[in-house]
Amino acid sequence: MKLKKITALLLTCTMAFSMAACGSKKEVATETKGAGSTTGSVELEVVTTFAGNDGNAQNYKASYEAWERETGNTVVDMSATSDDSFKTRVVTDFETGSEPDVLFFFNGADANDFIKAGKVISIEDIRAEYPEYASNMDDGRIPASMVDDKAYAVPVNGYWEAMFVNTEVLDAAGVEVPGADYTWDAFLADCEKIKDAGYTPIAAALGNIPHYWWEFAIFNHTTVEDHLTVPASIEDEIGKGWVAGMEDIKSLYESGYFPDNTLSATDDETFAMFVDGKAAFLIDGSWKVGGIVSACQSDPDDAATLDTDKLANFDVTYVPGSDTRKATDLIGGLSMGYYITKKAWDDPAKREAAVSFVSYMTSDEVVPIFAQHTASALKNAPEVDEEAFNALQIKAMSMMAGCTSLTGAVQDVFNGECRVSTFDGMPEIVTGNVSAADAVQEGLDVYAAQ
Amino acid sequence: MDANIYKNKKPLILFLFPAFVFMAVYLYYPFFKNILDSFMQIKQLGVSGEEFNTPWYTNYVEMIHDQNVWTSLKNTLIMMVVTLVGQVGIALILALMVDNITKGAKLFRTLYFFPIVVSATALGLLFNLIFLYDKGMLNQFLEVLGRKTLIDWKGEHLALFTMMLPVMWQYVGFYFVIIITGLNNIPEELYEAASIDGATKLQRIRYITLPMAHNVLCTCAVLAVTGALKVFDLPWIMFPKGMPLKSTFLTGTYMYYQTMEVKNVDYGAALAVMIVILGVVLSKVVNTIFKEKDY
Repeated sequence: MKLKKITALLLTCTMAFSMAACGSKKEVATETKGAGSTTGSVELEVVTTFAGNDGNAQNYKASYEAWERETGNTVVDMSATSDDSFKTRVVTDFETGSEPDVLFFFNGADANDFIKAGKVISIEDIRAEYPEYASNMDDGRIPASMVDDKAYAVPVNGYWEAMFVNTEVLDAAGVEVPGADYTWDAFLADCEKIKDAGYTPIAAALGNIPHYWWEFAIFNHTTVEDHLTVPASIEDEIGKGWVAGMEDIKSLYESGYFPDNTLSATDDETFAMFVDGKAAFLIDGSWKVGGIVSACQSDPDDAATLDTDKLANFDVTYVPGSDTRKATDLIGGLSMGYYITKKAWDDPAKREAAVSFVSYMTSDEVVPIFAQHTASALKNAPEVDEEAFNALQIKAMSMMAGCTSLTGAVQDVFNGECRVSTFDGMPEIVTGNVSAADAVQEGLDVYAAQ
Repeated sequence: MDANIYKNKKPLILFLFPAFVFMAVYLYYPFFKNILDSFMQIKQLGVSGEEFNTPWYTNYVEMIHDQNVWTSLKNTLIMMVVTLVGQVGIALILALMVDNITKGAKLFRTLYFFPIVVSATALGLLFNLIFLYDKGMLNQFLEVLGRKTLIDWKGEHLALFTMMLPVMWQYVGFYFVIIITGLNNIPEELYEAASIDGATKLQRIRYITLPMAHNVLCTCAVLAVTGALKVFDLPWIMFPKGMPLKSTFLTGTYMYYQTMEVKNVDYGAALAVMIVILGVVLSKVVNTIFKEKDY
């Protein structure tokens, strides 16, 4: 019986020891952190979207490592690929008080919650203490928050959305590469020719990523001035434009211009069709330049393996225009930037390091590395050395040189649940299960309720 | 004095307490909080609900009118039938065959059980490649056989079949192992006696194997039906957002879609409550139907 008592005692001691061990582990961690701080080096937690397949992931790593060497500080990089779960993670981190010190994030509606909560510092407030902060940027081009019209995020690289073309398919179908005067009617005629030649005119997965077509279809029925205005109902002029845009996509679907499996395919599948020379047109963002270049490399991670002949088959041009929108009016802008959080600002040791980090990453030397063929907000953008770019990047620069306006995406304003009826509901719209008018009105109702 | 150690149960509470705290924090609290959340307004993940819906039972009324809820319930019921017939049925046939061979039984056990150890996510990606429209394994194979057009295996007409086939295939081995273990426990003497009496192999299965394996089959049936309610990862990997045309939603995937994609968190919480109620009711029904017998 004594043995049982001893066993029970031993088990109790083991449990107590385990719990004590857990507690002491925490203390050790704290001590280590404290020791780090006393040496003068600051550990900065940074979250960006420069990760995974992002074209700037390597540039980002090289840049922050250079900053680390220069300052002796350390970056705890917690970057992740930009998608919905990333956005959710950032919002949740702010909610639970575990936000990073510096954040590279969207400056549209996605940032509203933490700006409203006062968890990031405006550029104006930072400049009150550090007058040189982001002074190399043209303030007029730094987007203001939708919450209080103040600028918070210092931008690095912009983005644009345009139409990529597979010239091999166009040649086979006897279609010219579209130019700056491309109209919707000319586009429909080209699609018909391409379809007759046995190719798929448009590479798009309507059941997965209808976003780009959604945006331009609406833009074709609004103007540069009112594109970012969310209509009150489908009865007003802009609302009618939205419905007409959805009807246009439905018409393209009914004409058989999308892939046969557009409702069940993923975006990756339709992109593969485009790259493999089975589809002619692809509307996507500036980030897709990197994707197409990677697809032309035998080793996607090694630029030296680029097949230049294959890359020569791709071009980027303007999305067909309409009466209200010129083909050269594109979607784009500076939608992301570096925020400094209040948490870092209130920490005397981190404040200096955070300002130093953002200043370094948005300097005249670093920004061009990230911006490449996209826009930036630099006051004095350096001359571009074309030799540093591949053929598609140069074509993209040439296309952007002819761009007459860059307008933000209305889906960045009209985000969240209100988009569901026309984004996830796009298959229902194009198949006629739900009318375009009903789907748009449903989304507007949700938007109004928000 | 020595016998008191059996009567004194206090030390047991000490040891049970950590597990109870763990369950309370990570299961019971979220469970009851979820019920409360289903009545609140929550339109963002990670954000607490601050006010109740008006009226507070809005989500439950919406659920009745939501066509996708009915689609997901229908698909989940089909999934139950598929798991019962497809998984347990095929597992039984395989087990009966393997039970009748003397050599290689262990090899077949391993082969059939293998899919269980592969993660559902990996299997989803694997089957995505098999059913891929352009250059997918199946379509390439059919092309070799002379078919001129591609089949959209994930299209509206074949989506449910394409979704349920891998799920069925994945768990056949699980039930196979349970059933064959049950078959191994049937005394050999019964078969010998039946053989002497002139019973054929089919008669031995009908009159000895199946009655003797009744309880094992009942256990498998209960596991299959309740398991069908929890199927999530493989269908979600293959058919995200209920693609195509929201026709492949299961109760679990629809709840995830509403919560994580649409960010209608309170409605997702209400769907979770529905799944729990459905699970409890169905488990009760299945337990009643497939009641184990005492021999």
